[in-house]
Amino acid sequence: MKVKLLIILFVFVLQACSTGSTKPPENLLSLSEAQMKIRSYQTRVFDISDEEKSLHAVVSALMDLGFIVERVNVPMGIVTAAKFAGTGYVAFVEATVVVRPKGDTQMEIRANALFNTKPIEDPKVYQNFFATLQKSLFSI
Amino acid sequence: MKSLIPVLLALLLASCVRMPKPESFFQLDASSAKYKALQSRIVEASKEQELLSASAAVLQDLGFQIEESVADAGMIRAVKERSAREYGQEIGRFFSFVIGLLAQTVIIVPVDLHQQVAATLVMYPEEKSTSRFNVRIVFHRTLWKGDGTSGSQSIPAGLQRMEMIYDPKIYQQFFAKLSKSVFLEIHQI
Repeated sequence: MKVKLLIILFVFVLQACSTGSTKPPENLLSLSEAQMKIRSYQTRVFDISDEEKSLHAVVSALMDLGFIVERVNVPMGIVTAAKFAGTGYVAFVEATVVVRPKGDTQMEIRANALFNTKPIEDPKVYQNFFATLQKSLFSI
Repeated sequence: MKSLIPVLLALLLASCVRMPKPESFFQLDASSAKYKALQSRIVEASKEQELLSASAAVLQDLGFQIEESVADAGMIRAVKERSAREYGQEIGRFFSFVIGLLAQTVIIVPVDLHQQVAATLVMYPEEKSTSRFNVRIVFHRTLWKGDGTSGSQSIPAGLQRMEMIYDPKIYQQFFAKLSKSVFLEIHQI
């Protein structure tokens, strides 16, 4: 009984002595090259000048894909939507889309998707989204 | 040992649920067009503002509380909480209890207790028209289950799941009320 107690106390002492790093890494908030690459396939430019129409098209595309629109901020052109996907609704997907005018004749649209709270970094996923968005933009 | 069998069976079935592939999240499938038709209608109204306030009034009539509304985007988000108890589930629970007794264990299947129904409505003017609006509403709900027992293992309450609502009657009811409300508002009754 005493031996067990001693072992437990020993483990606690070891734990207390470990000097774990408590400072966050310096590059936590800086842009890495990988991040720039991700940004490039999350963004697409469309030849549309009407920001409101683009926003409607984004909302329409997301609803077509089964997303539930949570927030729309018109002056900033931000749409946030989420859905539970898969049979039994096991996967939680969240998407944030930002619409910004680029010059006078174009619209820059950036999409950011999360799957079960982890960011999606597969370019194919964003390609699929922009394909759906394209259909929606030219049918509204 | 006998009491473990239902739990093991449930676990086996649960492990069969496969995580969907992320690629499929942003691809339209066959049901998208069907649901779009179910959830959308073209409504005639003289002003978007009138139609938006009429929609909010209909949702309130249906017992919803408006949580968020963005007039510039033509969006309204509303929720309502209700009991989710269903006769079918209670009867099923009774029968599985009886079967459990015959197998000399206690089986109390957790049933749905409470639900929150949410509605998200979005509208925008139809192209080349200023008096016709495309109104789309989506209903979905979150369910909370009660507690239960499986043999000597107690299942705690609060298990949550969500489901989309695709019952056509609910959408038809909403749009019927909406067109009536818009008529009343246009004619200022």
